[in-house]
Amino acid sequence: MAKKSVTKALKDFWYGKPHTAAEGGRRLGDLHEDKTHLYKHREWRGVKDTMYYFYNIWLYNYIFMVKDIMVMHGPITFAKGLWRYRWVGQTYLPVLHWFDRGLEGMRGEAMRASAWHYRAMVSTTIRQFQRMFAADTRLHGGRQNELYKRTIAHNETVWGGVFYPWDGEIQNVPLEMIPYFVTCHVNSHTVLNYIDAVQSIGLPGDPCPMCQAESGIFVLDDVPDYAPAVITCNEACDASVSTSTLQDWFFDKPLFSLPMPMLFDDPLVKKYVMREIEELWKFVEDQYGIPFSWEKLTKKLELQNELQRFEWEKWEVAAKSDYYPINGVAQALYRIYQTQYGDWEIWHVTDKKVRKILEKCVSKKINSFPQTRHRVIAWSCAPLYYSNWCTWAYNCWGLNVIINMDSLMFDMEIRTDSYEHTLEDMAQYHMWAPMRRMAVGGMHHMFELWDYMKRFNCDMVAMYDQLQCKGVQGLHGLFEDEFRKRDIKAFWIPHALPDSRTVSRAEIRRLINDYMSTVMHEEPLDPSLLDFDDSMTW
Amino acid sequence: MNKICKFFLKVFAIVFVANAALFAVFFFDLDGKLLFNVVEPFLKKHYDDMDRKDTLKTPYNIDEFPKYDYHS
Amino acid sequence: MKDLKHLIYFENLLQEANNELVQQAKKDGKRAIGYTCYFMPEVLLDLPGCFSVRLRAPRCTSPDIATYYMSARVCHYARSLMERALEGGYNFLDAQMATETCTATCRFQEHLQQKHLDSVDDMRIIDNDDFFCEFSDVPFKNNEISYQHYATQLKAHVLQPLHEHFGIDISDEAIRKAVEQQNEVSRLINEIGDYRKLDNPTITGYEFHVIQLCSLACPKYLILPYLRETAEELKTREPDLKKEFRCKVLLAGSENDDPDFTKLVESCGARVVCDRYCYGAVESRQIIDLPEGVDPVYAIAKHYLSSSNCPRFMPQDEMRARKKRIAELAKEYHADGVIIASNKFCEYWSYERVIDTVILKRDFGLPVCSIEKEYINTASGQLRTRFQAFVESIEIKHIQEGK
Repeated sequence: MAKKSVTKALKDFWYGKPHTAAEGGRRLGDLHEDKTHLYKHREWRGVKDTMYYFYNIWLYNYIFMVKDIMVMHGPITFAKGLWRYRWVGQTYLPVLHWFDRGLEGMRGEAMRASAWHYRAMVSTTIRQFQRMFAADTRLHGGRQNELYKRTIAHNETVWGGVFYPWDGEIQNVPLEMIPYFVTCHVNSHTVLNYIDAVQSIGLPGDPCPMCQAESGIFVLDDVPDYAPAVITCNEACDASVSTSTLQDWFFDKPLFSLPMPMLFDDPLVKKYVMREIEELWKFVEDQYGIPFSWEKLTKKLELQNELQRFEWEKWEVAAKSDYYPINGVAQALYRIYQTQYGDWEIWHVTDKKVRKILEKCVSKKINSFPQTRHRVIAWSCAPLYYSNWCTWAYNCWGLNVIINMDSLMFDMEIRTDSYEHTLEDMAQYHMWAPMRRMAVGGMHHMFELWDYMKRFNCDMVAMYDQLQCKGVQGLHGLFEDEFRKRDIKAFWIPHALPDSRTVSRAEIRRLINDYMSTVMHEEPLDPSLLDFDDSMTW
Repeated sequence: MNKICKFFLKVFAIVFVANAALFAVFFFDLDGKLLFNVVEPFLKKHYDDMDRKDTLKTPYNIDEFPKYDYHS
Repeated sequence: MKDLKHLIYFENLLQEANNELVQQAKKDGKRAIGYTCYFMPEVLLDLPGCFSVRLRAPRCTSPDIATYYMSARVCHYARSLMERALEGGYNFLDAQMATETCTATCRFQEHLQQKHLDSVDDMRIIDNDDFFCEFSDVPFKNNEISYQHYATQLKAHVLQPLHEHFGIDISDEAIRKAVEQQNEVSRLINEIGDYRKLDNPTITGYEFHVIQLCSLACPKYLILPYLRETAEELKTREPDLKKEFRCKVLLAGSENDDPDFTKLVESCGARVVCDRYCYGAVESRQIIDLPEGVDPVYAIAKHYLSSSNCPRFMPQDEMRARKKRIAELAKEYHADGVIIASNKFCEYWSYERVIDTVILKRDFGLPVCSIEKEYINTASGQLRTRFQAFVESIEIKHIQEGK
């Protein structure tokens, strides 16, 4: 008996504990401290994976975060920004915990490939906020330096690709992507200040909380003054239009509005968007005095197409095999970040590394998610404060999120063979913006779910229910009807995008637990994850 | 020879201790605990106490900006 | 004041979307074309052979089935329309000319649309074999590109389908005729509405609201005789010797087709002298100018885009200018203050209201009462308190200013 337990202990030490309770499992829930969800100790994943996590993820990323800051405008710029802006100080320090939450329980190739995605996002984020700080007049005694004059601010839903013609000359930095969007994933506490701020000036609590937060950072005077002009957009919804109005007041700079038709299937609207994109280019030329470059545009678009082609390869593996090594949260966040921000060197570096892992998994038939019970497609907009719910769902129930709506929106290459074709495709790409193509862009696009379910060989739907998204709420009943008619296994995940107070993480877990036990009659893989208190966590 | 050995031993010892210390920080989530219990509350207090501009006083000049219409 | 001769008749017309005049027009063989938003030019739906009906859902207080389909977190107006449609209240419609001008009404209209797709079953909410629903894209800007785009949209998605489905004459001549008719309605409504500018207005805000709504919800050719008669009647209408109100206000904000809301404001001592809200007359009753030699559809597209003050517009100059326009209207109509009312869940007006509340007061010196309301205001107690306090604050201001 003792020999058996020593052997098991040695095996657990060498390989890490097995996943399921039936195998005397790892009980990941026991690792956490109550409420804060900090680790009593980080997970022991076996010698090889623990050492990999320690050196190649934890230490590597800490070192590279410092290195990125040193290389990109230096530590003084960072320190000044950190001291001035809440969203950087409160958010970016616990970034390794964001890794932990997303990669919890992952082993082998899944852990490695997913971590590379995280690393790319961190690097791009640092690059953006360092550029903001380096150009910020507030951190430079009100002086508009050269960087300021060569930076353009834009709404985060304006696709970065429209600025490719000025690659290397003007740097585009989204207004909200770093101060708001990324922060919610890393530290969900920060954004609450902004939501409260905008409500304190009289905004009701019911508009989209993402837009509330995007306005709130302006109300709290927490936006760097880093560019002489702004591009805004009506994407994704009514509240985005209105957010622009509020932002315009507080930013008080030349602002160009790039309107995107909501219903994009009509070829006539594409022509209109093409002309509006040209208007935007003229505005940029007008404001910055730097001419449009067709060569730069096509060069960058071709690079972006490379990223798209690799994404299609990834989808192919995810759809047709069990060897896809990227977990649901890494897939979703990396893809949306990359497609929305546009081409950047780090995406190519990452894709190269991930390709290697992917090829290894396929050639050696490595199943990175061996406990998969259901292949899940996640549909609609995800909760930003709990984007890692899918890591939990796999660990607890064997729900493997194969693909999600955010990943699928920009499903196209952009032609570069002629000006007309390029412009036409850019218009199309932009109209398929985040939360647009399959959320508010015509109801039948939301129902493309059935096709994608089939294409990715999924047997279950995780239906995000953003409580303040009028576009999705307006279709709630039809989804219910169709799920029933088609006999599709689907569970709803109610949430309020960044605001963790509306539906807590525990509530989300409870709803999934209830569905899995009462509807699916299944037992959890890891019962320690069923119920825990993480109410104070980042 | 002894000196070189000693030097390498010293380097090895330093690297080993540093690694062990770092591993302890990693394994027991000391970084997380420090950030959660000390750094974040400190910074939060700093940001809460910061003097902020009353943004509602920002001017709203109706005719300040032209119509950006380039007739493409 | 002496009661208006047709007021009760007008009020009755507003009790149902399928009212007496709509039924008469249908009997006359005309096609009923529904729409929800100002941006769908009603004039194009009033071409010979058809007539426009701006959809309302009067007395709908409990949209239960619509709430199942659209959830409780969507604007009550859109849900009420959906409920009324599900009840069969819009079966008289032959077509719905839809716009994606706000998400909630877009979703409502998408439910009406025959989808003919595998993706989702057709609900066939409108039980009328001829019925179809067509969407047009309305630009967010009022620049030259947008005028051209909008004109193209109106041709492709309004005129062409009307012609193809119902054989409606969509020639320039027919359009000009429809514009003439609409301009007559507008002239009469403006004439009636101008009495609100008098020191002691000879029409109440409530009465005007009812009349304006009738002009939107009834076939123009059938409501015109009543409007003419009312305009004539008002020429000699005597005001009460003692003013029945304590101050005048401009009512701005989101969708409002509930005259009882105006009545509520007026019962608190204010007189609503200007209606700068969706379904109001400020924009919709401006005269459409059709210059010779200009494509009439282009002129109409331009008219609708350039006359609107909707917070949906997002060019920078436009975002800012519309605040000034409210202040100018307040001056023109001698309003002492402004009530900004946004419907719950209306995202455009939630934000616009916040800015208006600060800017109108700070930069234009106008007292502002900022409220959030439902489509049908059954719980009026809280609002009454707000309005009474607002009226009192204006009175105090007047006393302080020595007026």
